[in-house]
Amino acid sequence: MRRTSAQCIAGALVVAVAATACGAGEDAQTAKAGGHITVVLGEPRHGLVGQETAETEGAEVLHALFTGLVTYDTKTSEPKLAIAESVDTTDSKTWTIRIKDGFTFHNGEKVDAQSFVRAWNWGANQENTAEAMGFFSKIEGSQELAPGKGRTPTAKELRGLKVIDDRTFTVTLKAPFSQFRTMLGYDAFYPLPKAFEADPKGFGQAPIGNGPFRMDGAWEHHEQIKVKKYDKYPAEGRAKLDSVTFKIYDDLDAAYRDLHKNAVQITDKLPVSALDKVSEEFGDRYIYKPEASVGYIGLPLEANPAAFGKAGIRKAISMAIDREAICKKIFRGTRKPADDFISPIVPGYRRGALGEAGTYNPTKAKALFEQAGGIPGNKLELAYNDDGGHKEWIEAVAAQLRANLGLDVSAKPYQSAGALIDDVKSQEFKGAFRMGWAMDYPAAENYLRPVFSKEAIANGSNFGRYASEEFESVLAAADRATDPAESLTLYQQADDIVIRDLPYIPVFTYMSAVAYSKTVKNVGVDAQGRMDLAHVELN
Amino acid sequence: MGRYVIRRLGQMVVVLFGATVILFCCLFVLPGDPVGSLGGDKARDPAVVEQLRERYGLNDPLPVQYGNFVKNLAQGDLGEDYTQRRPVTEVLGPKLVNTAQLALAAIVLDIAIGLLAGLIAALFRYSFWDVLITLLTTMAVGFPSFVIGMVLQKVFVIQLEWVPLISDGTMKSLILPAFTLAILDAALVARLMRGTMLEVLRADYVKTAVAKGLPRRTVLLKHVMRNSIIPVVTYLGISFGSLLGGALITEAIFNWDGIGLALVQAVQQQNNPIIIGVVSFGVGVFVLLNLIVDLLYAVLDPRIRLA
Repeated sequence: MRRTSAQCIAGALVVAVAATACGAGEDAQTAKAGGHITVVLGEPRHGLVGQETAETEGAEVLHALFTGLVTYDTKTSEPKLAIAESVDTTDSKTWTIRIKDGFTFHNGEKVDAQSFVRAWNWGANQENTAEAMGFFSKIEGSQELAPGKGRTPTAKELRGLKVIDDRTFTVTLKAPFSQFRTMLGYDAFYPLPKAFEADPKGFGQAPIGNGPFRMDGAWEHHEQIKVKKYDKYPAEGRAKLDSVTFKIYDDLDAAYRDLHKNAVQITDKLPVSALDKVSEEFGDRYIYKPEASVGYIGLPLEANPAAFGKAGIRKAISMAIDREAICKKIFRGTRKPADDFISPIVPGYRRGALGEAGTYNPTKAKALFEQAGGIPGNKLELAYNDDGGHKEWIEAVAAQLRANLGLDVSAKPYQSAGALIDDVKSQEFKGAFRMGWAMDYPAAENYLRPVFSKEAIANGSNFGRYASEEFESVLAAADRATDPAESLTLYQQADDIVIRDLPYIPVFTYMSAVAYSKTVKNVGVDAQGRMDLAHVELN
Repeated sequence: MGRYVIRRLGQMVVVLFGATVILFCCLFVLPGDPVGSLGGDKARDPAVVEQLRERYGLNDPLPVQYGNFVKNLAQGDLGEDYTQRRPVTEVLGPKLVNTAQLALAAIVLDIAIGLLAGLIAALFRYSFWDVLITLLTTMAVGFPSFVIGMVLQKVFVIQLEWVPLISDGTMKSLILPAFTLAILDAALVARLMRGTMLEVLRADYVKTAVAKGLPRRTVLLKHVMRNSIIPVVTYLGISFGSLLGGALITEAIFNWDGIGLALVQAVQQQNNPIIIGVVSFGVGVFVLLNLIVDLLYAVLDPRIRLA
């Protein structure tokens, strides 16, 4: 439905519109006087509670309403301490977290150790069906709160969490995990006030956070979410603006038009129709940088070893894909050819790590393919979900494989990603399939374990059922390491194993799509694609 | 009359039953677990999925699920929206008002344009106006409503900027969607009106009335209009149901935040409670309107007696 209206509008967006602030300019004027801006949002899925939010729209609002223990640098994606005064460990297993003084919830309640423990206990309990439950599975005792399908929790509190004093608590993990500090910036680890316990459902409609902005009224569904500056926020990091309205759009073309008219000041969602012209129209007010998502071609290693079992075949497929052409011609530069399994935005990414496998070379690909004995029947099906704009690039990949490998490739559409995953999981479908991944926290580890580990077969995105002991043991060693540099090197080693084995074939990285009007400055987005609204200022 | 109404209401229950059973079966055969993923490629934790399936009763056999649905429906409860986790009635309530607003505006436009055009065409048969109206109505019937909607949007929203792109609930933003929704029915009404009116104009009782020396006005209003409007009323009653169908497309084009748009989104997200809610409501309205139309016959045509 978005696409139909997009087509209609595509031709008509003219730069001239930008110059004329029409009826909708009212917002812009108040902005100059009182420090108010409007930003684009899609309707969040359900209650605005950190532990309940695993999607971008809710995360956007929560980022304004809450401040976590750590936050991510908008440039380097490195974790920086936010509410935490220190996050220390000697063995990567037991972590001592000390909270800064002076943070309060918007109802005046102090942010103390208990507010974090409360929130995490709630999120870890499977009875609460929190979307982010999986993030607590590393903490000791989590299996008692989430014993799994068909069982009831036997505890209400995580054994691994201990409150030492008002401002200190310790977290004991089941096994050492060097990336725990980085993980803490994820929505799941936000604190919750006492008021949450009385009415979790109602809380989600008008959350009481501890962030630079507080709710101004309740969430008006499909309309807007208004927030205003929280005056008692510590001076450092206090919001510059007085208030922000998250205006909820169903139609990104409409949002983009409103940006042109300055009825909206920032958007981090651009319609397809805008991609051609946005950098020309907004210049340096268009933030062009890679973001968290990666697109792959997945291979069912376990279900179809006859076709995909040989490393030579997988490498041949990878080398027969012209990533550059797909990114340029189909995505018009809004995606970037993948050259590492680790995304360019996280520490640990190495340019060109894929090496030969990621370099387009049809001749060599064909030779490799024949040398490995080809695919039985010389037929390959390539599945994709038809509801997410994947048709074009999958068909391009199919055409390239057809031309370069002489393989009889056909693209197979599925109604939804869920239906595709069902068929791949049940091994009903034995062909290659489109797959994607967006990290939850900016760590190299997060591009490896959730997609390629054995644990991710049951509970993650390892739909090809790749299983490598070597990979597991390097990953575990990296988790155990206490020296950040050492652990990163080990994760890169694990990355090298995946690059050698190519269980999935990485094709592209997505680019962010943020543009803002002339009236604002200091606009930044973090690795999660969340706007850093507290720093935004009016010109 | 009273018994007739009761009998018809009884039939309505049967129709609703049939429709919802079919709907349940259809949703059941759809691939993919409605609560299985977070959206996109990320799978939910199996324990969470299980808990959610349990909460929404998705583990029960289909007949049990249906039984629960009926039981809750009787109490005015349509269940909980899977994505927003709010009661369906609460989610759909405000959207229903929006759709009703749109449908009402469309029906008013529909009647006004349709009757007037039909009247003119019939009274001045073969004149320039008749030919023009015939031509325009043919075009209106020929073009799918999404084409009309998008052309209107392009001209009035994008180029002339007379009305806002996103509906903001004002009368101004109501005009285009209502017109888009009304145009097809208005064309059909005009043609129907023209045809029946021409027939009635030739009828003996009209000739008699004219011969008696009644003023033309009286003849037209009391005899011609009243008799030629019956098929039109039938048609309008039925078309109200298709209006709901047309609202799907129209609401999607104009981003009119009604139940049609909600249904489109719910289908994409496999949000079954919303789908069931909207469809059951649609069926209910359709059946009820048919009843009202039948009752109106009796009022418009004294020859029809309902028993």
